[in-house]
Amino acid sequence: MQRKKMIGAGITLFAVVLGILWLIPLIWMIGTAFSVPSFHMTLFPTTAFTLDNLKYVWNAIPFGTYYLNTLTLVVCTFAVQFVTSTLAAYALGVMDFKGSSLVFAVIFMQIIIPNDVLITPNFMTLSEMKLIDTKVGMMLPFYGSAMAIFLLRQHFKSIPKALAEAAKIDGANTWQTIWRVYMPCAKPAYLSFAVISVSYHWNNYLWPLIVTNSPQNRTLTVGLAIFAKSKEANMQWANVCAAAFIIIVPLLLAFFVAQKQFMSSFVSAGIKE
Amino acid sequence: MRKKLVLAAAAGLVASAMALSACSGGSGGSGSAAGGENAAQSGGESASDDALHLTFYYPVNVGGSAAALIEQICADFNEENPDIVVEPVYTGNYDDTVTKIQTAIQGGTPPDVFVSLATQRFTMASTGMAMPLDDLIAADGEEGQAYIDDFLDGFMLDSYVDGQIYSIPFQRSTMVLFYNKDAFEEVGLDPEDPPETWEEVVEYGQKLTNENRYGVGLALNSGSAQWAFTGFCLQNSVNGENLMTDDGKQVLFDTPENVEALQFWLDLQNEYKIMAPGIVQWTDLPTQFLAGEVAMIYHTTGNMANINENADFEFGAAFLPGHKRVAAPTGGGNFYISSGISEERVQAAWKFIKFATETERAAQWSLDTGYVATRESCFETDLMKDYYEEVPQAKVAYDQIPYSAPELTTYNAAEIWRVLNDNIQAAVVGDATPQEALTAAQEQATEILAEYQ
Repeated sequence: MQRKKMIGAGITLFAVVLGILWLIPLIWMIGTAFSVPSFHMTLFPTTAFTLDNLKYVWNAIPFGTYYLNTLTLVVCTFAVQFVTSTLAAYALGVMDFKGSSLVFAVIFMQIIIPNDVLITPNFMTLSEMKLIDTKVGMMLPFYGSAMAIFLLRQHFKSIPKALAEAAKIDGANTWQTIWRVYMPCAKPAYLSFAVISVSYHWNNYLWPLIVTNSPQNRTLTVGLAIFAKSKEANMQWANVCAAAFIIIVPLLLAFFVAQKQFMSSFVSAGIKE
Repeated sequence: MRKKLVLAAAAGLVASAMALSACSGGSGGSGSAAGGENAAQSGGESASDDALHLTFYYPVNVGGSAAALIEQICADFNEENPDIVVEPVYTGNYDDTVTKIQTAIQGGTPPDVFVSLATQRFTMASTGMAMPLDDLIAADGEEGQAYIDDFLDGFMLDSYVDGQIYSIPFQRSTMVLFYNKDAFEEVGLDPEDPPETWEEVVEYGQKLTNENRYGVGLALNSGSAQWAFTGFCLQNSVNGENLMTDDGKQVLFDTPENVEALQFWLDLQNEYKIMAPGIVQWTDLPTQFLAGEVAMIYHTTGNMANINENADFEFGAAFLPGHKRVAAPTGGGNFYISSGISEERVQAAWKFIKFATETERAAQWSLDTGYVATRESCFETDLMKDYYEEVPQAKVAYDQIPYSAPELTTYNAAEIWRVLNDNIQAAVVGDATPQEALTAAQEQATEILAEYQ
């Protein structure tokens, strides 16, 4: 008993240390963003509080537009993925048709291919379709997601057929069965995929940079790069931190508000990023 | 195994089917027309519909304000030339820019004009991404020749591929020694007498080093180490032999002189203990200098304005200390024109490059960014003279250009840089001796360059 308690305390301590390690960059980033630039690097700010960094960064590039674009990108991409992946997962997981496992294997292979490898072929396709430098072009390659299909298919498969049959007896058609039975049961899978999809598209840099040209279509990460990737002289940490702060605030807030749900959905969906 | 192959084939089929349907969705037409549309969307105001739209890719390497300055140059040009609209497109850092250019070319929408590292010119030429500019210069007659001759020789060295000019100097820099005059005085050194030789670097460094301060600082991270190393190798060569041959097809890493140069770096760290051990980042070094944590740093002239503005002590700038000779590396980005664009576009792009590098504008660009002005005539302008009066330290960069040589430039420069940086770092962290590190770098680089022989 004593021994068990000791181990428990040890694990808690370890978790606390990990938590602090995770927090340090965040504290430093926020502190630096809100204090007068200094050349002494310290964890906690030693100079006066200021909003000038934020103001300078906000006005140096059109962050308002970038925000709107990133939000549009993230929301639309996820909305379309939601529909396409649900239908695909239902077809592959529940409806038994000839060759379904082959189709699934083909889709699954897509997970193995890193997105960066696909930049050139995707760009060429979009170029043919005249969709370069458009928001649709930026989103199009991600409208289908192998990850989401995989996740949902596994979940749908674990839902007892009896439930669906009961629904059928009550007069539900296929669409109603998906909507009323499968989707509510797979909520954790949807949530965990939402986290993956939103954070990926929120942070994606190279693809939006390459496929867009005009400021009207660019995203937050491209705005951050103009500060963070300037390395000829010295790093202007205050500006970099201010820009980073502007960018992560919505995700950070979302995480704090919904972290319980995130945690439980990740646990039950059994995946890590 | 067989099953996997079948699956792969199936995947290929699906992919190509999708690609086909995608193609039929578009309705022919040239890619660059799409580029023009984009430009028109973002251009707006003054552009008349029949104006020629040029896409101009530029990287930003000196912080947020440079982007605004470049956009201003484009706006000024567009105002002066109502029949041309240059659309500036920010493309990340130098690496991102190359990726974006390559992708855009493969997608059939190349930029018309772009800024890329001078060291990219062999790659640009061999892959047909950029075109030689000699015909354009010749077409301008005497004026064209005068234009080229006006660029500082040290910078023009970086423009030639097989005797043809491929690029025009734009945002160029060189490395100088910044030193803390207050610290010099504190330890009894003459603040007007910076170190001129490696021996003096060691001697001064030992005096300047104390508990809170290192005597000398070098950035040894990937992407910076090769630049500083070029300088030390040039200084250690009686004839000023660079790290590569002029044709960019061979590297000369493992010469006894270069091994000595690398050994000198290790000695600064391990034997004399006057330089921070391990690897200090390029972007952190000036910060440490300004914080008084290091008394002398090897850094870019691009930092002059920053240091001048933020140093709360007297600072000096000096030639890089020499050894067997005085020498320094140059670096930075040049203008290129894409190959394969229409004659009309080439002419417009050339006009834009000449506009952006006009004497007054180049001088102003130098003051605003900290890059070294690229043309001889820039230094005759009142703008420049006033600046030198105000910040005499800045003149060192200009004075040093005649002693400078291009940084490591070869075919497939990005790979070669990586090889040299990786091996230098292996030596710095103690995984290899300087001889082992440079021998390995030589072997790996030779292998990479084999296909260009």
